[in-house]
Amino acid sequence: MTDFEPKIVAFLCNWCSYAGADLAGTSRMEYPSNVTIIRVPCSGRMNPIFVLKCLMNGSDGVLISGCHTGDCHYSEGNFYARRRFAVLKSFLGYLGIDPRRFQMSWVSASEGDKWAKLIHELVAEIKEAGPNKMGKE
Amino acid sequence: MLKELKAISKELLKTKRVDVILAYKRASDGVSAMPCFIFEEKDIDKMILDSYCVYNLSNYIKDFPDKKIGIVAKACDIKSIIVLLQENQLKRADVVIMGIECHGVIDEKRLCPGERPVQDIGFNEKCRSCKSPLPAFCDYLLKEEEERGKTGRASEGDGYASIRKLEAKSPAERLKFWEEEFSRCIRCYACRQVCPLCYCPKCVADQTDLAWFSRASNLKGNMSWNVVRAIHMAGRCVACGECERACPVGIPLMELNKKIEKDVKELFGYEAGADAEQKPLFTCFDKKDPEDFVK
Amino acid sequence: MFKAVGKKAFMKLMDSLSKGYEIAAPRKFSNKGVFYSAITDAGDIYLGAEFTVEPVKKLFLMPSEWLFENRFNDGKISLQGGVPPQEARKRIIIGVRPCEARGLELLDKVFCSDFKDSSYSKNRERSIIVGLACSKPDKTCFCTSLGSSPAETRGMDAIIFAGEESDEMMLEIITDKAREIFAPLEDAACEEHRKKLESEKKKIKDPVRKINIPDALSASFESGYWKEVSSPCVSCGVCTYLCPTCHCFDLVDEERKRLRCYDGCCFKDFTQQASGENPRPTKRERYRQRVFHKFDYFRKNFGEHLCVGCGRCIRHCPMKIDISEIAANAPKNK
Repeated sequence: MTDFEPKIVAFLCNWCSYAGADLAGTSRMEYPSNVTIIRVPCSGRMNPIFVLKCLMNGSDGVLISGCHTGDCHYSEGNFYARRRFAVLKSFLGYLGIDPRRFQMSWVSASEGDKWAKLIHELVAEIKEAGPNKMGKE
Repeated sequence: MLKELKAISKELLKTKRVDVILAYKRASDGVSAMPCFIFEEKDIDKMILDSYCVYNLSNYIKDFPDKKIGIVAKACDIKSIIVLLQENQLKRADVVIMGIECHGVIDEKRLCPGERPVQDIGFNEKCRSCKSPLPAFCDYLLKEEEERGKTGRASEGDGYASIRKLEAKSPAERLKFWEEEFSRCIRCYACRQVCPLCYCPKCVADQTDLAWFSRASNLKGNMSWNVVRAIHMAGRCVACGECERACPVGIPLMELNKKIEKDVKELFGYEAGADAEQKPLFTCFDKKDPEDFVK
Repeated sequence: MFKAVGKKAFMKLMDSLSKGYEIAAPRKFSNKGVFYSAITDAGDIYLGAEFTVEPVKKLFLMPSEWLFENRFNDGKISLQGGVPPQEARKRIIIGVRPCEARGLELLDKVFCSDFKDSSYSKNRERSIIVGLACSKPDKTCFCTSLGSSPAETRGMDAIIFAGEESDEMMLEIITDKAREIFAPLEDAACEEHRKKLESEKKKIKDPVRKINIPDALSASFESGYWKEVSSPCVSCGVCTYLCPTCHCFDLVDEERKRLRCYDGCCFKDFTQQASGENPRPTKRERYRQRVFHKFDYFRKNFGEHLCVGCGRCIRHCPMKIDISEIAANAPKNK
């Protein structure tokens, strides 16, 4: 178990979270390298099927991160995302999928330190949850 | 009720208010009902109306895209018509809804071979949580002439008891439960085909040039399919029960769809098919939507 | 040759055989139905009157199957067959209804004649079919109209007559394969048993319905009849998937593997062409195709109708469409 390095996919909105993660990098903050980042224009672009495909194909965890509500670059995208993913989060738990495997956060462009802390926590939680057996046929 | 229904239908066809009537007729076994499509007054006598009329005829609205439709509908069927109206799949003026009083429809599933034990057939599970025998939204309201003895409605409960039971189990137990159910799925897509709200010209499951999920009927593929369909029905499913009835292998699809229905009610106070003026769930939001799950 | 055996002795033999053979038989899942399952405990075997949802076809032509996988190692492409490797063990399938065994014979004409489909043929070779006579044919059954009957033994290695109330059952052994397997079972057969077997056979009610499939459907091809009878159909695929004789399949490439999975002429996309054209765009064309393939084209090509009268399509159709009535009532001309 101590050898288990989770593979996590993170969908970051271009304007806030991606910039925030970039700031963590330029500020040379250290954080685990388990996360693969996919940039989307806005968290409102996110389709629950993306999260599902990741989990079904063996990702140990999925993160969606966007702008804080009220600060969306496209005004309202994150409000739609919040509604959509509240439903997905509850539903995945109901199916018996570990709720730690899908998480959502608001990280602004200036919150490099929040990003680094978030990833530290996320990786620790998914390490505890263990490898995702779903995608391994 | 049937006499009145036939008279209204005749009039609708005669005045060309509608091009076709979606109704029920007797099936070839002489006992069950079957959907039928009446284009001419002379065929009106085929119509029947009894507790075998379980089908949600609004599923056929998509088969008549440019026609004016008269439809015989129970309260649960009308909810799906309302969602179709909300989603601009139908113009209000193009449908005449003949709402019928209904105290429950029969679940003919899993009958033993041989003789059909009529007295052993119970009401459909969905009828237990039905709010009212009379539809609220319709052009004509047809009531029963006499008092009906038996009813499928349960006297108490909100219909989510079985959902709560599953929610109370441990995640590992729930995963085992769903894995067992989905392992029987044969990917026949009957659930999708009988659903009035599955009207996508090309379903996500049929997109194979770059596929979202496997077409194989293994656990991974089956789970993906059923979960994606449930998510696509979020805030739209009116719990008409047709998907579960159609499933040949007995997957409890209503336990999936009703969980989302319950969540959507609790999280956003939203109910599908309640009000034709209401916007679809995911096309709107409230600034106060819950965000306790967001870090 | 037949034996009268106690049900318990039969189950005990099955348990001991399960060490060397794969055993598949119907198993009842409460509220869901009866399904063919891999049997590890013979007590799970269900030999009652209820029919399985899926026919035995699914053990020969699988609902989905990986045909091969391609690998790219050291600059070379290699193909590996059958992912995962196909079962090589011999298999005993118990509880196969006469209609389903007939269905296999019809499928053999497609998958096991001029061209032998590798996985279907292997499955046929390794399987021993122990049939189960039908004690209570359904209202939807019409096997006697299509060359079968509730006690037909064609295509079987042995057949069981099992009364639900009795502790005993009659086992009629037909081939040497079955003789060898059932040799350990003590034969309690005597004249009384022989008489009992004959009376069991007589007791089986002939299915109620006799359907006359017309000889020449083709005359009605352009008739408006097909639009009318196909209108309740929702193109769901249940009749095709549960049919003991339907065998159309789709080939899909997924992640370096080729998948063969069930497909049906009822689906809209079945005849979708790359050009964008679809010669069967509506239910009328598709339903007509289904009826014609079963009751016209297949006989023209292979000599028999592609239907065994099992009634599954009618029993499980969400809209109660009855293909037997539809075929029987087809107009004689346009």
